[in-house]
Amino acid sequence: MINIHNVSKSFGKFLALDKVSCNIAKGEIVGFLGQNGAGKTTLMRILTGYLPPSSGHVTIGGDDVVKKPLSIRRRLGYLPEVPPLYPQMSIREYLTFAAKLKDIPGKDIRAKVDKALSECGLSAAQNKLIANLSLGFRQRVGIAQAVLNDPEVLILDEPTKGLDPIQVRQVRALMLGFKKKRTVLLSTHVLSEIEQVAQRVLMLDGGRVIADSPLAELYKMHGGTLEDIFFKLNTPREEATP
Amino acid sequence: MNKICTIAQKELSIYFRSPLAYIMLIMTISVFNIFFFMIIDQNREATLKDVFLVMEFMFLFIVPLLTMRLFAEEKAAGTMEFLMTTPTSNTAIVLGKYLGSLIFFTLIILLSGVYYGIIELYGEPDRMAALGGYLGIWLEGAMFIAVGMMVSSWTKSQTIAAITAYVSLFLLYFSLSFVEYLSGPPEAIVRAVSCMSHFANFAAGLLSLADVVYYLSIILFCVLLTRLSIEPKLWH
Repeated sequence: MINIHNVSKSFGKFLALDKVSCNIAKGEIVGFLGQNGAGKTTLMRILTGYLPPSSGHVTIGGDDVVKKPLSIRRRLGYLPEVPPLYPQMSIREYLTFAAKLKDIPGKDIRAKVDKALSECGLSAAQNKLIANLSLGFRQRVGIAQAVLNDPEVLILDEPTKGLDPIQVRQVRALMLGFKKKRTVLLSTHVLSEIEQVAQRVLMLDGGRVIADSPLAELYKMHGGTLEDIFFKLNTPREEATP
Repeated sequence: MNKICTIAQKELSIYFRSPLAYIMLIMTISVFNIFFFMIIDQNREATLKDVFLVMEFMFLFIVPLLTMRLFAEEKAAGTMEFLMTTPTSNTAIVLGKYLGSLIFFTLIILLSGVYYGIIELYGEPDRMAALGGYLGIWLEGAMFIAVGMMVSSWTKSQTIAAITAYVSLFLLYFSLSFVEYLSGPPEAIVRAVSCMSHFANFAAGLLSLADVVYYLSIILFCVLLTRLSIEPKLWH
C-alpha cells in the first residue's frame, strides 16, 4: 500500500531523514516511535506530499506522492502535529469547509460531517466556536477532519496529545476500529498506546530507521517491555532539533 | 472552480467574523464621506476626479490591513498544512484567497457608489468619466491586493506582511514624486511603473488600454509569484 523507498530529506545542512525505506501493507497500523527530532513529523509530511523528499520516492497505492498529489490526497486523512483549525469557525462549519475541500459531494457532506462528529464525540459541541475549545476538543476536531473522507490511509501525528484518559481511550477505540479497513500511521510518545494499538513499529533515531518490525518480533528479538527496547535502541541526546 | 469559491467564501466569512472588517468598512466610508463633502463643497463641480485621487491615497493604507493575514495567518496557525494536504490545488488556494479579498474590496467601492448618485442628483456629471474612474480605482485596488497577498505569502508574521506591503505600495505610489530628479530612461521607467501616473488618467476619465494592461500585468505577476512562493517543491 505505502512504499517508502530510500527517502532522504535535508533542511540546509541538517539531515532530517537518512535513506528511510519501509513497506506498509494495507490495513496495517504502524506506530512511528522516536525521540523529539528523530524525523517522525518530517516523514509524515513527506508521506502527505506536503514536503517533497530531497531524494528517494514514496508511492501510495502505486501513485507517486510528488507526481500525483491530488489523487493521493483524496485517499488520505492527515492530522498534523498542531490541529489545523480556524478559531473563527464553529466545529460544524469547519468540518463542512474541510468536506468541501476534500471533494466530498455536496449531498453527502451533511451525513459525513454528522458521522465524523459522532465518531469523535463532538455532536453535542458542534456549534461551539473553535476559539473557545479546550486542547482535547481541538485535538478531536483535528481527528474528525482527518477521518471525514473515509480515507484509505490515515496519518496521525500525535493523535492523543492533550486528551484526558477517557478521551485517549475513545481515540484508541476509534483507531482499533480502523484495523484491517484502513492503513493507519501514527506517531506518539506514549509507548503503551503503541502496544495497544499498533501491530508494527517503525523506530527512528537521528533520521535513520533503527527498528522496523512487528511488535511481536521486536519483543522476541530484544526482550523486555517496549520501554526497555526504546531505551536500548535510542541513544539519549542532549539537544534535539526539530 | 468550486474550490476557488469555497476558499473565497471562507476568506469572506473570516473577514466578517472579526471586528476588523466592520471597523474598516465604517472607517473607510466615513473618511471618504468627509473628503467627498469637502471636495464637492470646495470645487462646486459635479465631478468625482479629486474624490478618486483621495480614495487611491486611502487604499494605500487600507489594503495592507486587508491582505496581511491572507497567508501569514494560515502559516502561523498551521492551517496552511491542512489546506495543502487536502486535494485542493495550490492555484485554487491562491485564486480563492485573492477572490475573497477582492470581493470585500469591491464592497467598499460599491458603497462609495452613493457619491455618484449624489452628483447625478444635483448636477450633470460626465457619466463615462465617473464610470472610468470607478473602473480605475477598482483596478488599482485589485493590484494593491495582489501585491499585499504576494507579500503575505512570504512570511508567517502578519506584522511583517503589513509593513512590507506598505513599503512596496509606497514605492509604487510615491516613486512619481521623485521623477523630477531623473531624466531619460530612468524617468521613463519610473513613470511607467508608478501607479499614480496610470491612475491619474482614469481619474480624469481617460481610458487607455495601456493603463488597463499595466494593472492587469502587475496583478498577474503578483498572483503568479504568490503561487510560486507557496510551492513546496521549490523551497524545500
